[in-house]
Amino acid sequence: MILFMAKVFLEIASLQKLFFKLVNNMKIAISYPPIINKLGQKAMVSQNRNVQYFKKPTYLLPVTYAQAATWLSELGYEIYWDDGNADLKNLDEWFNDLVDFKPDVVVFESTTPVMKFYWDLTIRLRKALPDTVIIMTGYHSMRMPAETMNNSAVDVVLRSSHVDFALKKFIEYLDQHKSWRLTCPIEGLFIRIGKNDIRDTGSFKQVEPLNTSPIIDRDLVRWKNYAYENGNFLQTPGTYATSVIRDCMFGKCTFCRYNGPDLTFSMMDVEKSLDEYQNLIENYKVKEIFDDSGVWYRGKEARDFAKGIISRGLHKKGCYFGINTRFEYLDEETIKLMAKANFRFILLGYEAADQETLSRLNKGYQLQHVENCLKWMTKYGLHPHLTIMVGYYWQTKDMLDNTVKEVKRIMYSGLARTLQVTLCTPLDYTPYHKECIEKNVLLTEDYDDFDMSKLIVRTPEDHDYYYQAVKDMYSIAFSPRFILRQIIFLFKFRKRDWQFLFVYSLRALRRVRQHIFNLTSHQGE
Amino acid sequence: MKTFNVISNTLLSENTFKLRVERPKCEILAGQCFNIGLPGLDINREYSMYSSADADYIDFIIRRVEGGLVSERLFDLKVNDKVELDGPYGAFLINEDCIPNNKFMFVATGTGIAPFHSFVSTYSNLDYKVIHGIRLDNESYDYGDYGERYFPCVSKPLNSKNSQRVTDFLQKIEISNNTLVYICGNRNMISDVYDIVHGKGVFGDSIFTETFF
Repeated sequence: MILFMAKVFLEIASLQKLFFKLVNNMKIAISYPPIINKLGQKAMVSQNRNVQYFKKPTYLLPVTYAQAATWLSELGYEIYWDDGNADLKNLDEWFNDLVDFKPDVVVFESTTPVMKFYWDLTIRLRKALPDTVIIMTGYHSMRMPAETMNNSAVDVVLRSSHVDFALKKFIEYLDQHKSWRLTCPIEGLFIRIGKNDIRDTGSFKQVEPLNTSPIIDRDLVRWKNYAYENGNFLQTPGTYATSVIRDCMFGKCTFCRYNGPDLTFSMMDVEKSLDEYQNLIENYKVKEIFDDSGVWYRGKEARDFAKGIISRGLHKKGCYFGINTRFEYLDEETIKLMAKANFRFILLGYEAADQETLSRLNKGYQLQHVENCLKWMTKYGLHPHLTIMVGYYWQTKDMLDNTVKEVKRIMYSGLARTLQVTLCTPLDYTPYHKECIEKNVLLTEDYDDFDMSKLIVRTPEDHDYYYQAVKDMYSIAFSPRFILRQIIFLFKFRKRDWQFLFVYSLRALRRVRQHIFNLTSHQGE
Repeated sequence: MKTFNVISNTLLSENTFKLRVERPKCEILAGQCFNIGLPGLDINREYSMYSSADADYIDFIIRRVEGGLVSERLFDLKVNDKVELDGPYGAFLINEDCIPNNKFMFVATGTGIAPFHSFVSTYSNLDYKVIHGIRLDNESYDYGDYGERYFPCVSKPLNSKNSQRVTDFLQKIEISNNTLVYICGNRNMISDVYDIVHGKGVFGDSIFTETFF
């Protein structure tokens, strides 16, 4: 009887989808052009964070956009999931394919270092597709919508970080109203209604019920394109989960795009996320799942999630789980439970080893708590990954030296397993970006220079000193002390430690060399 | 290490208490929050300030969460015990330039009333209403501080006929077009209230939200 009912339900669902398809015949492209710099590196605009250029293949699923695509597809719209990077296209191929598709709507995601590229691209695209509605989204344009309107052929700037909700509402309206430019009441839009005439529909709805946005349709976004080339996966195929938090439940760090008076956070229910994990493991045979929420669950939700994984038996399926979290967020009991549930990769924003910098960045944690948090994680077999930034406009030699020294100590003592160093670059008109403008420490206004490949703020020391610090920290991976520490971990007889040394390390070394090259190529200039 | 003494810890209802601590020497704005931790615990949690930005102390109202490592320890604190404070943070603020020409509507559930109490204690010239969603009658914390501007919406009152939620209340009232709406509390309530006030003509730029969790 239950089987029969399930079949009937599925039939109704597919009939409903077919009905929507017949009614809604608009064609929508969600597009990521392959943006390649002079060095042949590709811009990873889709990485749910700041854009970076990579030479080695790295394909990152833009989670919220994938939810938007899924939702629109469920409503019957024809979706063209168009990631030029993941599809291994060059710019001309990508452009021609998009034009051939003749979309009614094209959606782009923007961020500071690729703004100029996008503005030019939309002008070129307008000539090829005069009737297509071009929508610009992303954290830069949402904070500077008029600038994008003035410099591009964009029709609509979406000011919301809830791209799935905003697009769903807007596309449905667009589909049903010919005079949408004049009448659309949906909040959070900048709409072009004439050459020099713009309509602003006001600030967007900040808190959306995440449970109503669908779980990503993996087939629609061709998930396998993203399943192998990602430096953070110890096992493949891996994938990004539909984020449980949007954007970040702390949301106060001044350098982060997930910060601003216009942003707060929304949360998805634990059970819904667990259902997705079960589907990914059982039906897609995924071996590593990473949730790229700004900060993942904590407290009761974190424990309920871990317990749910265990009660469903998903911790015994050979799949690792990874998250972003913050220092002082997870207690020992929760970490222990997460380890039991087969969590492995834990990304923590360390940023710097001096309290002044942490306070200026509004990091919201105190240094004396770092040690215990890392000890708990290591004790239960998790692999903490530290993110560090260098080149804050106030960062003195002492501050930087201390950070390098502390990072070395942490890595050599085995308290963290991997790290990532970036040059602190003001982006997307975050509070740190605005602060740099106000303090007059920005050395350039050319957005092309904001690609995180060089320091663009005035610093107390010569820039070379910071580039050297990047090298020093990445070089930890080649140090005999670090390698010895990894060998000692083998005696814990955990599979993940063996994989870490013999599979992941070899892959990681390639990427470390790439990072050193990317971040220090301007040394000596 | 930034530690501060507890000045008092007062029970407000069965599971909610008011924690008063020494004030850090820094600029604090009404509506901001702090991360509160306890020495040796190695975890912290964010709480919005309940007191006036000008007070010599900082008050927080905190709900004791069953199994909540931080809130249960804070519940047990005695006078002169230490807490760690990080902050203040946050942009859930009132723009003082807006005070003369606008009405303010503060919608909260439970301890989400904290930033609103801070607002009304700090700015004496606010023209405001507080709409407070609570479960039980005795959760109208410090309602006397708001006088007739306080509208409790009790979901489980002693007389069950009077049960209502903030959304029921908002459906019934008119909102003038110069009203700035601030919403603080659980995310589902925020989403629902946003839809109601937006539907009544309040522009998105006039709606400000802060999620508690």
